Amino acid sequence: MSGHSNWPEWIYIAVVVALMTWVGAEAWNAERLVEEVPEGAEVIKVTGQQWFWTFEHEDGTIEIGELHVEVGKAYKFEIMSKDVIHSFNIHDYVVLMDAVPGRINTVWFAPTDVGTHDIQCREYCGLIHYNMRGTLYVEEPSS
Amino acid sequence: MKRMVGLFLVLSVLVVIPALDLAFAQGDEPGEYLDRRVIIWNLFFRMMAVAFTVGAVVAGTMMWIVWRFRESNPKAKPTAYEGTDW
Amino acid sequence: MVLELQKPRPIWQIMFSTHHTDIGLLYLITSLAFLFLGGSLALAIRIELFFPNIEGTGQFIADSMTFNRIFTVHGTTLIFLFIIPFASAVGNYFVPIMVRYKDMAYPKLNAIAFWMIPPAAALVWLGFADFTWYAQPPYSIISSPGPAADMWIFGLKILGISSVLGAINFVVTILKCKHPDMSIGQVPLLAWSLLVTSVIIIVAIPTFAAALLMLLTDRLGLSGFFNPAMGGDPIAYSHLFWFTFHPEVYVLVLPAIGMMYEIIPRFSRKPIYSYNSGVFAFVLLALVSFSSWGHHMFATGMSFTEKTVFMVGTLAAVPASAMHVFNFIATMWNGRIKFSSPMMWAVGGIALFFAAGAGGVVNTAMPLDFATHDSYWVVGHFHLFVMGTIAFASIGFLYYMFPYVTGRMYNEAWGKAHFVLSFVGTILVFFTQHVLGLYGMPRRVFDYPPIPEWIVMNQIASVGAMIIGVSMVIFLANMIYSSGKGELANTDDPFGLGGKYYYPFEAKNPHH
Repeated sequence: MSGHSNWPEWIYIAVVVALMTWVGAEAWNAERLVEEVPEGAEVIKVTGQQWFWTFEHEDGTIEIGELHVEVGKAYKFEIMSKDVIHSFNIHDYVVLMDAVPGRINTVWFAPTDVGTHDIQCREYCGLIHYNMRGTLYVEEPSS
Repeated sequence: MKRMVGLFLVLSVLVVIPALDLAFAQGDEPGEYLDRRVIIWNLFFRMMAVAFTVGAVVAGTMMWIVWRFRESNPKAKPTAYEGTDW
Repeated sequence: MVLELQKPRPIWQIMFSTHHTDIGLLYLITSLAFLFLGGSLALAIRIELFFPNIEGTGQFIADSMTFNRIFTVHGTTLIFLFIIPFASAVGNYFVPIMVRYKDMAYPKLNAIAFWMIPPAAALVWLGFADFTWYAQPPYSIISSPGPAADMWIFGLKILGISSVLGAINFVVTILKCKHPDMSIGQVPLLAWSLLVTSVIIIVAIPTFAAALLMLLTDRLGLSGFFNPAMGGDPIAYSHLFWFTFHPEVYVLVLPAIGMMYEIIPRFSRKPIYSYNSGVFAFVLLALVSFSSWGHHMFATGMSFTEKTVFMVGTLAAVPASAMHVFNFIATMWNGRIKFSSPMMWAVGGIALFFAAGAGGVVNTAMPLDFATHDSYWVVGHFHLFVMGTIAFASIGFLYYMFPYVTGRMYNEAWGKAHFVLSFVGTILVFFTQHVLGLYGMPRRVFDYPPIPEWIVMNQIASVGAMIIGVSMVIFLANMIYSSGKGELANTDDPFGLGGKYYYPFEAKNPHH
């Protein structure tokens, strides 16, 4: 307001804008990398409903509440819902995608180590949302 | 100004390391898939490094101001506006 | 101002008054009542999460439905019945004085806008709906039990109309009723923040009003806008909802920043560093607030392009917010700062504002959203805004207003204890919740598996919440005791700072 010079504020704004540009560029690049589904990924159909998960493998095997996958393969989840919105989440592999009725959302991952991980619902879906959990079993390759 | 130089130094290092990281994360052997955990958590930790650096500068500046310009500081002197109807 | 306790009037005179300070007082008392009510629900949530339920032990709330209802009403109450009415209280007290007009532009409309709040609050509290504060369909259509859900919809409808009426009043008062000698460039920044906020409300709220009606007819089975079983799209609701409620975030935060603009120069004994940059940053934030709603929906299956656009729109808000922080810091620089309670709250609020903003940048950096989305990280993040920044500024401003409202001083030592405990508690609760989110704990859960890290962090967060609870008891005691028995304030300069206050006093408002 008064006639002081304002150059420190301009430098400050420039630094903030530069930082945000860096954040945006890095995030854009990382998202581009993780979104590209590799060729030959096996499709697993994931269905959420109140209050459990159903998995259907390419060969027709159906699992409820648990999912068996193999190390070294890439899997593409096709996620849908039968009733309300859920969110399919394997936090240890940073896999997260909403299950929206009437839509099919996809996300992919490639397990690297043998082990078990929690599968959970991360979108509020009612009474037993807190216990809409499952287990992911990562196993040695069968062949 | 020194603080600015330091900040930019940290930032430039943070830009170089991820470029190398990503090159490794992608895996050069065929049949090896990119690991989303590596990419995502790398990005996260880089951003945290920047956030904590900037946060330290902001919080440090605020703490210094609060300490230096409190009225009980022996060096405190009246501002030019005191006693006027500003 | 009213000085009710020194020159008591019958309560109905205040209730049926249309004078701006009386309505301000009603807003103030209502919003504080709901701060305590909503806060006690938060304590119930934190007590429940202190222990995981193992074979019937560690359970505080009877069942998950009750828990779901509690967090729904907690969120609805603190956003719509504490933060927004509190900003209206401050606006009602100060805007007419700042623009030198005898009252608000439409005093009766003002009273109507206030009196819509109690019935709306009654609908929300008597219904106790369970579908979270954003009523996501199809859950809210096909699964959520009535009549609670319908009562919530009507309650929010009424609150929306109330805030639009209030907003119209502020815009007209500031633009048309300001003193002819005063240009818009001389209107104080607190009034500017309410002007900008009001414009956002008028632009944003109708979208949600429409969405609420559509939700209601969907629930009645008359339509299927958001019901996939009838060919609707639940994501359409998300767009309509967040188109209103992302800007609404700025409706919450801008008045808080405006309050800091009143407190910080005052207690630094120095005018604001740059009035123009404050105004510019307000207007800029209002504009970019409409460019970022999609960042709440990255995980609903948005395309890469959509996500990129909304990420850029979100990051665009950062420089403008940073300008406010710069302005605060530059104002304090070379000042002679008196750390009375209002100043402590304001400075604490700025410190937490940075942390909240940094968390927001992480959320919007696209792939990171998949690590943090709908986890406790998000809970920690937005609570740093609503509690750490907005409630801190509001409580600070309440201390600042206290001598004007009651003619007495609050107890300074208690005010400081309140601040220190709240600040420590806030850091304990919400910083811990960030980490808890990184460990993958989903939000809105009644119970969690006994993972050791989760248990420890939940307990730290619950202890922090208890500390805030204790500080709020001190606060309540201070407010009640001091408004009746506190020292008489020197109403010309209650904080001993010198200079010119905005005096909302009887003497300067002679017709009261």
